[in-house]
Amino acid sequence: MTEFYGLPNAGEFWHWTNLLHFILVGLAGGMALLTGLLHLKGHREARRYTLWTLVLIALDLFVLWAESPARFRFTHVWLFLTFHPASPIWWGSWGLALSFVSAGLLYLGKGPGRPLALALLAFSLVALAYPGMALAVNLNRPLWNALMAGLFPLTALVLGLGVAALLKSPWALYPLRVLLGASLLLAFLYPLTLPLEARGHLWEESGVLYGLFLALGLGAFWKEGLAPWAALLAAAGLRALLVAVGQWQGLGL
Amino acid sequence: MPRYAMAIDLSLCVGCAACAVACKMENEVPPGVYNLWIREREVGTYPDLWVEFRPEQCLHCENPPCVPVCPTGASYQTEEGLVLVDPRKCIACGACIAACPYDARYLHPAGHVSKCTFCAHRIAQGRLPACVETCPTLCRTFGDLDDPESPVSKALKEAGRMDVLRPELGTRPKLFYLNAPSKKGLTREKEVRHD
Ligand code: SF4
Ligand code: SF4
Repeated sequence: MTEFYGLPNAGEFWHWTNLLHFILVGLAGGMALLTGLLHLKGHREARRYTLWTLVLIALDLFVLWAESPARFRFTHVWLFLTFHPASPIWWGSWGLALSFVSAGLLYLGKGPGRPLALALLAFSLVALAYPGMALAVNLNRPLWNALMAGLFPLTALVLGLGVAALLKSPWALYPLRVLLGASLLLAFLYPLTLPLEARGHLWEESGVLYGLFLALGLGAFWKEGLAPWAALLAAAGLRALLVAVGQWQGLGL
Repeated sequence: MPRYAMAIDLSLCVGCAACAVACKMENEVPPGVYNLWIREREVGTYPDLWVEFRPEQCLHCENPPCVPVCPTGASYQTEEGLVLVDPRKCIACGACIAACPYDARYLHPAGHVSKCTFCAHRIAQGRLPACVETCPTLCRTFGDLDDPESPVSKALKEAGRMDVLRPELGTRPKLFYLNAPSKKGLTREKEVRHD
């Protein structure tokens, strides 16, 4: 039996608002990448997608600001006044901010189109990559293993393509199914990559929900009309669930 | 430049929590969050049983995982090896809380992250951390790890046994536990918490 006088500061430090951010940043990053590609191809849908990208990034940044306990201390300015390349969140802040600026310039038609599209592509890749990296760097949390660095960018692309499929872009369905298939395969294998204790925790805390999201994802391969919704729900659910349940430290102490 | 460290002799700790109370007062730690807490656990198996009291706090790791993940530089390491948080730069993103393997950090109600500072403000005045000064059994020692004559260096030299928490993570803690009862048969039941 272990008891305490006072308490270790264990427990949840990221709450539902943070989980929402992990979904929104995937949507925003995925859409930004698609927008960059559409601009490079000179696709007629590029402008519509640029607006979606701007809205989603703005929404994500708003959620981040609104949920921050530091929102009225304006300390966020330090993200852009300091240089911390070892921090995934520092990269993410720049990735999102510069994606927004380049998408904004593209939407307004200001500046050279191709270089701006290339810049948007590069910045969106940073925005896609950083959430998984922000989790994977925590060697102390066994559920956030190196697989996060692959699963989060993949599910972000699924989220972006899910929205594209809902917007009735005919080119979206095939890559959506391919990337969703890859995400589901990774998510299926993920428990096998965990130490026994961590696997037990995942199973106890959210085994049913995890299985449900995997099954939902499979629905995308069934009917075309269902595909975007099934993909969106599965990708968003898996992202939120992994962030929530991964905050567990194990019994290391 | 000194390299500050602390040692706690677990064979002397009686779990009175005077250090935890002193810390709350000295650092004005708000209700519900802790710079320092005491873990009480049964060690061993019958008939070799022992109750171990283990005070825990930020270990001021030499290789602190909480510092590089900070996107604003609010979490930093001083030349003396103290790991501190500058509340004026903290955006409360929680990355450092996630990175700390010891649950030492918490969100202060003022909207920034906080934790034990080894009483940096007292050290600057040439005083000891409040927990060290208060401990009635003198189980805590503090000082410069690079000075062989400092109390902490002497305590480490004289200890029969020395442990750090989760050494496999490579954080190189500077809070050392001395003379802990054997880890053999350590119970790993569910934790019970009293706020
Ligand atoms: S104990 Fe935690 S907060 Fe303290 S230095 Fe180590 S990692 Fe950082
Ligand atoms: S919560 Fe504050 S100190 Fe911690 S990583 Fe974020 S900005 Fe840095």
